[in-house]
Amino acid sequence: MIRFENASVTYRGGVHALKDLTLEIPDGQMMVIVGLSGAGKSTLIRAINGLVPPTEGDVIVDGISVRKASAKQLRVLRSRIGMIFQTFNLVKRTSVLNNVLMGRLHTTGTVRSLLGWYKPADVEIAMQALERVDIVEKAYARASNLSGGQQQRVGIARALAQEPSILLADEPVASLDPPTSHVIMRDLQRINRELGITTVVNLHFLDLAKLYGERIIGLRAGELVYDGPGAQADEHVFRDIYGRSLSAADVMGEDAAPAVAL
Amino acid sequence: MTGHAGGVAARPPKPGRSLVLPVGTFLFLVLTWASISEEFGIGLVSRLSTSVPIFLARGPETLAALLRPNWGFLPQTVEPMLETFRMAVIASVIGCGVALPVAFLASRVTAPNLAIFLADRGILSVVRAIPDFLYALVFVFAVGIGPLPGIAALILFNIGVVAKLQSETVDGVDVGPIEAARASGAGRLQTIRWAVLPQVLPHYVAYSLYTFELNIRASTVLGIVGAGGIGRLLFREYKFFNWSNVSVIVVELFLFVFVIELVSIILRRRLV
Repeated sequence: MIRFENASVTYRGGVHALKDLTLEIPDGQMMVIVGLSGAGKSTLIRAINGLVPPTEGDVIVDGISVRKASAKQLRVLRSRIGMIFQTFNLVKRTSVLNNVLMGRLHTTGTVRSLLGWYKPADVEIAMQALERVDIVEKAYARASNLSGGQQQRVGIARALAQEPSILLADEPVASLDPPTSHVIMRDLQRINRELGITTVVNLHFLDLAKLYGERIIGLRAGELVYDGPGAQADEHVFRDIYGRSLSAADVMGEDAAPAVAL
Repeated sequence: MTGHAGGVAARPPKPGRSLVLPVGTFLFLVLTWASISEEFGIGLVSRLSTSVPIFLARGPETLAALLRPNWGFLPQTVEPMLETFRMAVIASVIGCGVALPVAFLASRVTAPNLAIFLADRGILSVVRAIPDFLYALVFVFAVGIGPLPGIAALILFNIGVVAKLQSETVDGVDVGPIEAARASGAGRLQTIRWAVLPQVLPHYVAYSLYTFELNIRASTVLGIVGAGGIGRLLFREYKFFNWSNVSVIVVELFLFVFVIELVSIILRRRLV
């Protein structure tokens, strides 16, 4: 379980990215965060794995305080939390398999990992992660030779290879076209349901949020302004979150939505 | 899109000022200052009146000798040339090997803390400020004439060059994969190995091959101070004005450098 306890993040320079946030995310939930650029979505996600630790209050993940954790405890905590990025963050000059094996570094000794001698069991886990997102045939291809959607699936496989209990996705489809976005979101939904991994996703397209979010929270200027089931979030709710009227730019569009919805 | 109230917004002023004029003025002044001496600039013109006749007298003869390599001299060059090659191989492997970790400590992206970063950068600039020639002089004094002082001098030179170039390459790396590695719970060394090294490996290979080439060339100078290699022979033949023999060595060095360049191109094409 993830628990925010009056958590605030103030960046050097005085920007208040998160303000006094209290929030509980139960195990196995698929939660979507919506809000305008700069509302604090990325900061909220990074507070969970301590990439941006709270400056006040605390975030407790599976009983461990992110703020008080030692460097080593933080690494152990992070190993249980997979992360997916808007720009995929793959090492493009190396193979897909090497990228996915980065998810196994946390259980690999220093000497072994420096030499690239991964245990066969870890290679097997990486291969299975690639199979789960249906891209195992590219295992030995260079990451730079893959399309955006394929790269993001490798990003998901890298996170899955950690065998995490939590998955964080920071704008996972913002660099992708609409059909590919749905493929990626359905992958995340399937992983959430089949493996019971708690999934926290930042999205800025409202229709995607409504379609895939079991629960939606809204952030505005670092503050929690909405918290409710995805199904109940209507136009008024989003208008409140955004603090302005909605436009066509706020939705991805119906044409690419899958026929089988929730 | 929403319309902008009040019509067209005012255009912002161009930030900063162009550096062309001040830098240009500075360069002009420095050039003028440098030219006001007897040896350079204006003095050079007056010296031409004496230099040109000397060149016309000796030049064609020297040039002709250089263009007629004395291939009979070739067997004598084999042993010192191999010595130069061995010196360069050993110095490049050790120097570039040491330079890689040193480079990671000298980049803000990969250094564990600011103190180590600053210390490493400081030491590197001192190492680089001392010319290889001077290292060779010191080591010849310390351990005597032979290839050993030459190798030691080249190692220090290589560390200075490769670590600087490589650390600047690391500075420019894509930090996305580093964030991904950190987020997965990977340690610092693991992150460098798998998120940074694959990005900078082609540059490292290119820099290493380039220093190997520099080492082959440096041997000509190192030989003069007694630090082994082909330089000793080259210097001797020069002192006796055996230009046809000098020419053989120059052709060999050219072939060496050319082959290294070819290998470098092939390796880089496969790695990039």
